[in-house]
Amino acid sequence: MLAWVFQFAVLAIVLAIVAWLVNNVRVNSSEQNIPTGFAFLDQPAGFEIPGNSFRQSQSVSAAIYQGFLNTLRVALAGIVLATILGVAVGVGRLTTNWVVRTICKVYVEVLRNIPLPGIVSFVYLGVVLAMPRTQDSWKLGPLVVANVRGVSVPWVTGSFLRFVLVLLAASAATYAVRRWRLAVNARTGEPAKVGWWAVPVFVLVAFWGAVLVGNGVTTPELEGRLTTGGMTFQPEYFALLVSLVIYTASHIAEIVRGSIQAVPKGQVEAAGALALGSWQRLRFVVLPQAFRIALPAFGNQYLNLMKNSSLGFLISYFDLTKVVSTSIGNRSPAVPAYLLLMVIYLAISLTIAGVVNFTNRRLQLVTR
Amino acid sequence: MRRSAHRRLAVVALPIVLVAASCSSNDDSADSPAGTDAAAETTAPAGDSGSETTDTVELTQDSGSVLDSVKSAGTVRCGTRDALPGFAVLQDDGTHQGFDSDFCRVIAAAVLGDAEAVDHVDLETADRFTALQSGEIDVLVRNTTWTASRDGVEGATFLHPNFYDGQGMMVAADSGFTSLEDMNGTVVCVASGTTTEGNVSTEFARRGLQVEVLSFDDTDLIQEAFVGGRCDGWSSDTSQLSGLRSAYPDGPDALTILPEVFSKEPLAPAVRDGDSAWAQAVDWAILSTIQAEEYGITQANVDDMLTSENPAILSFLGVEVDGTTLDPGLGLPADFAYQVVKQVGNYGEIFERHLAPLGLERGVNALWNEGGLMYAPPYR
Repeated sequence: MLAWVFQFAVLAIVLAIVAWLVNNVRVNSSEQNIPTGFAFLDQPAGFEIPGNSFRQSQSVSAAIYQGFLNTLRVALAGIVLATILGVAVGVGRLTTNWVVRTICKVYVEVLRNIPLPGIVSFVYLGVVLAMPRTQDSWKLGPLVVANVRGVSVPWVTGSFLRFVLVLLAASAATYAVRRWRLAVNARTGEPAKVGWWAVPVFVLVAFWGAVLVGNGVTTPELEGRLTTGGMTFQPEYFALLVSLVIYTASHIAEIVRGSIQAVPKGQVEAAGALALGSWQRLRFVVLPQAFRIALPAFGNQYLNLMKNSSLGFLISYFDLTKVVSTSIGNRSPAVPAYLLLMVIYLAISLTIAGVVNFTNRRLQLVTR
Repeated sequence: MRRSAHRRLAVVALPIVLVAASCSSNDDSADSPAGTDAAAETTAPAGDSGSETTDTVELTQDSGSVLDSVKSAGTVRCGTRDALPGFAVLQDDGTHQGFDSDFCRVIAAAVLGDAEAVDHVDLETADRFTALQSGEIDVLVRNTTWTASRDGVEGATFLHPNFYDGQGMMVAADSGFTSLEDMNGTVVCVASGTTTEGNVSTEFARRGLQVEVLSFDDTDLIQEAFVGGRCDGWSSDTSQLSGLRSAYPDGPDALTILPEVFSKEPLAPAVRDGDSAWAQAVDWAILSTIQAEEYGITQANVDDMLTSENPAILSFLGVEVDGTTLDPGLGLPADFAYQVVKQVGNYGEIFERHLAPLGLERGVNALWNEGGLMYAPPYR
């Protein structure tokens, strides 16, 4: 009973503080003629977004949507790559090979102890801006053009959505072939050779599928200062992505190391007794159990990575934060704009947390 | 158990916060006419008390006008910047030097009679209006362009421009660009949070040229990006470009400023909306430098001018003529113009001191009777 009274008292205090703050904003804003509503979202943005067809006459809400997409672009790619790199480094810290172990240790200890803005600025100034100027671009045949304006690679033309559907169809076909080969192997004892079958099937289905739905290929070409055709990765995107990945991976690596060490030793010894090789022990016994332990901590790192992507403003990467602050520089009112910014970040964070928690529940051991 | 209770609390509190916020914005649009009325009412008595304080300085902190709070605090908090050559540079000894910094001193000399009673507050470009709105500074003298939207939305009242500027483009001297027309498909770097981003896009679109605009908070980063070849052009107001060019590491000759000037940028001081007593005081402090130049009053001869034959000059300097001293009711001391010129100088002197060394001509910033735009209403 007392606990309930306490809960309500806390709730009342929180609400009173919030109400006081909201009222403060309202009164002060109206005294100073600052609009507090969200009408600014329909105003023309007044700025353009690099690497994007967004025009300055489009609305602020459209600009914020592009910023949202840019945040997702860097956060999702960052989460995937940081996980891969982090797991590799974390496993590397536990190998018996002295060289690999030491490299991984130095990597973790250096990167997790540097503030991220430092890494972002260093990667941008030291790596990206040190790329060759447009007139001395690096070229790899007709496939890649790289200079300080970005790295361009071949890309599909036509509907990208259709191309994704084609890739999904090819994946489905590959999976079916794999099941068929495994079934043949189980029935007749003939070697399955999944790779021999699956890779050509994937390539053939994807290629002919793309031709059928009207996708083509465009390769990058250098015309004076401009690179036309292909898909250009903006240097700012690249610098931010690399910084987020190497920084977050150093934290993930420590989680992986701790989680592997938390797997009971008897599991490894039992796997050894079954004559599993060291790779098999890792792949089938240790890592699956370690991941179950690591997943909630991974979720935290994913959230951190997503929020850290707001450092893109340092290097003119137009993520959500950069778009909103640029928009405030172009007369959007600060308080409602930042409120909107926080709500969008909150929504993205809660979505990521939701996915991680859902996966966590599915992977949890069912005990009675 | 505790954890789940906390979570429940958060879940309950969040929608309430959001609902409260959205309600407030609805209420606000309905309330706003009433709000402005209230503001207008409060400024009227503030103006009265402002004229009273000319003879006896009262320590009235809650009467509303910044003019009173500045007088009682004894310093002017002036929003400025720390690294814009010619306009405001933070020196190694901790003082601010430059054109804008001197106009901060002009305001302090006029209101408080002491040009050094200034607290120079360094602000990032994107934070400057927030600092003004929140009352962190009393006046913003920071290369700020007067535009309609800023007048309307930022809660700022702009005063008489102290410099008429225009946006230009700077390129590397060996780039081969001689006009904007050569710059199709280029990348231009600008400072973020300014009107320059939109101006570049608009100007290139008008000429049918393609451009990509990158914006950075930090001028040093723009310079790095420019040196590294990430951008071909560096666009800003021509006054700023002149300053940046003079401080360029490879020397000013490595850079060229293209002839086109493609925007109007009247740089004006700004104060908060709804405080006309303070706005008038700051406005006339700035106008007095222009009027002094027109009268030919300089830092060197201002003491001689106190015995001038011209009654207009005498009343401008606050000298008693036939037993009367002109008090226009601005809430400023009678001798404010004398203090401004004596301690800081007239408009032309401030310009020569800080902007002429950058290679800037008077141009449109000359006096009105010399073909420029600098024109002060009559002081009578």
